[in-house]
Amino acid sequence: MNRRTFLKTLAGSALALGLDLGSGLGLSPLAPRRLNAQNFPDLVAVKGSDLTVMFDRGLEALGGLGQFIKKGQTVLVKPNMGWAVTPEGAANTNPALLAHIIKNALNLGAKKVYVFDNTCDNWKDAYRVSGLEKAATEAGATVAPANSDGYFQKIDLPGAKTLKSTQFHELFLEADVILNVPVLKHHGGAKMTAAMKNLMGAIYDRHPLHRLGLDETIPELTLHKKPNLHIVDAARVMLSGGPRGRGDSRYLASQMLIVSPDPVATDAACAKILEANGIIVPRYIELAAQMGIGVADLNQLSVQRLSA
Amino acid sequence: MPDNKNRRRRLAVFRRLLAYGLLGLLITGFLWPRPVMVEELARWQFGQILAHLVSGADHWLIVQLTLMIVLTWLLGRWFCGFICPLGALMDLTSRLRGLFFKQKFGPTPNAPRQIIVPLALLLLFWLGVTAPFGLLEPYSLLIAKSLWYPGPNLLLIAVIILAIFRGRYFCDHLCPTGFILKILAKSAPFHLHINNSCLGCGACARVCRASCVDGQTQTLDPGRCLLCLDCLAVCPNGSLTWGRIKANANARRRAFLGRLTFGVLAMGAYFTPDALRAKTLGPPSSIPILPPGALSLAHLNAHCSFCHSCVRLCPNQALVPSEHQHPALWNRPVIDAYQGFCQYDCVLCAGVCPTGALVPLSLETKRITRIGTALFERDECVIIRNGTSCGACAELCPTGAVSMVPTKAGRDEPVLQDNLCVGCGACQQACPVRPISAIRVTGLLVQQTADSPVKIKTLDVTMTEDFPF
Repeated sequence: MNRRTFLKTLAGSALALGLDLGSGLGLSPLAPRRLNAQNFPDLVAVKGSDLTVMFDRGLEALGGLGQFIKKGQTVLVKPNMGWAVTPEGAANTNPALLAHIIKNALNLGAKKVYVFDNTCDNWKDAYRVSGLEKAATEAGATVAPANSDGYFQKIDLPGAKTLKSTQFHELFLEADVILNVPVLKHHGGAKMTAAMKNLMGAIYDRHPLHRLGLDETIPELTLHKKPNLHIVDAARVMLSGGPRGRGDSRYLASQMLIVSPDPVATDAACAKILEANGIIVPRYIELAAQMGIGVADLNQLSVQRLSA
Repeated sequence: MPDNKNRRRRLAVFRRLLAYGLLGLLITGFLWPRPVMVEELARWQFGQILAHLVSGADHWLIVQLTLMIVLTWLLGRWFCGFICPLGALMDLTSRLRGLFFKQKFGPTPNAPRQIIVPLALLLLFWLGVTAPFGLLEPYSLLIAKSLWYPGPNLLLIAVIILAIFRGRYFCDHLCPTGFILKILAKSAPFHLHINNSCLGCGACARVCRASCVDGQTQTLDPGRCLLCLDCLAVCPNGSLTWGRIKANANARRRAFLGRLTFGVLAMGAYFTPDALRAKTLGPPSSIPILPPGALSLAHLNAHCSFCHSCVRLCPNQALVPSEHQHPALWNRPVIDAYQGFCQYDCVLCAGVCPTGALVPLSLETKRITRIGTALFERDECVIIRNGTSCGACAELCPTGAVSMVPTKAGRDEPVLQDNLCVGCGACQQACPVRPISAIRVTGLLVQQTADSPVKIKTLDVTMTEDFPF
């Protein structure tokens, strides 16, 4: 071993060690984020026919929902219920999945489970027609309105380059645990909506995001407070005419559920599903990875694929 | 006879409770999410029924109107005393008169000036200038949003203050509905009258807010009496009784002539074609988006009495009184697409209209009723100007009239398909460009029918591989 190779080896080890240390502290954007000492996967994808069974399988692989919810905590389950479209239209989160998650959270001793969405269609119609209000209420959650700025508080987004501040729903700010439960769809403007895009229903005024650019601003919504877990309903995926769905929309019978604590990895996996069906990967995933919000390259993560 | 007086007093109290009750129902009704009760109350407002008659009545309306006319001809102005919610409110506030004056009320003689304003309002209304009628029609006046929206309804405040000083002066001098009822009730055969046991104490005249009792001549004018029954309650010896009245030939002749005039006017109004009415108001400089079911600007102008039931009911707060934006429309409802858009699956406003200015629409018809047309200013669009992604307009468009189409530059751009656009204004509200949206909707003078959105059976695609990652 000559001097040069020695120095190279030394530098390499130092870099590796640094990354390892960094990952332990959660600093490095490259490092896989481990939930705890046990080696749970970073992302779980479950194939199956029943979303509730798929959810149980997926969470089992992640060590159970108890990893995320402790007794007495307030939980926000944030679905996509933005549209006055019936469940068959797959424009909103599946009601059975939402109800199942709420029941699980309450069984774990959650003090209170809240559900809301700042809708696109008239909020009362969207809450009713989507079937989510009924499902959530019957499961024991409190369904809150999000139709007026009185429910929202202005928050500065630390480190944001484009969207310096926005108004978050007070339940989003107060919740101890946030479970983000979007539906995967094509989206005319953002190209895809899944985990990060779903947070646009947790803020009040969406105009600035459209004005400043969706790709640049969508990742910045995670800068104040990250949801603890992202559970994406990808059972029936709208491939065109999104986000509402039209008479000529195409749907993909993908029968999948994707669960991960990493919003960027979740969206990256979702984008792969759409990409395989001819939809361009939205730029906001790469931008989010550059900002250090999560990992976009699934090869760097431990991904578990299951069937239920 | 002390028990007799108690009975008379109970009658007056009963009348008061009924009228106040209906007023209370009306006010609390609007606090409910879907004010069904209020819709029903509106359908029993005499002035609204009259307005509806002009816009073409169905059989039920004719039956209802005939019933009310016959009952008024027989029994007098029971509507004003028992039903009218504005009357009830004036009764309540006129009780404050005691704070300002020792003397309660007194008789005023019949005079021609009493008919000038209401007659003018009715004639104008039947010619198609409905704005003045709508402003003073009691139901509209009570519940409409202000002429100075979003400020307070100053006209209503003025009428309430007037009630403190002059009692039900409004009902006799200004109210167009009251004027018609007055003609009908002029020689009502069953009414209150003063018998010869009267002591001439004048208690009844002092308590009469309508100033219809003259203690001197010991007469009561059924044309002006609002059947508030308060005089019954105060009469010391029961000289006021209710029963059959034999009016003299002269009074009967005058009453007949009055009714004949009213009948001719009503028939004329019913048969006047819309085309004639439309000429009375020219089109405004910029055409606002009219609510679905308005058919045309001319139709809305000719039939709306601005009760603003539709404005209150609109779940998206898209409907506003037009005053500040479109003066030519007076106070009629228009859609302000910056405030809200017309919900695709909603027909509430068209269903609630008590005058037929908005004709009821089925959901299927509503979905293809074009109330405006969108205009896309490509150079203003953020996608073109900044090269970022947006697509808010296409996202909200319920018919697919705006869709995102890939361009050579590698980005998606909104493209408008005019034949599908219904003019709901969703794109205008969603567009992030302010103060003027890059995509915006202009109203139509005559509402049109849009093409139905594509109804291709949705396609289900199966996955090629289990996990594409």
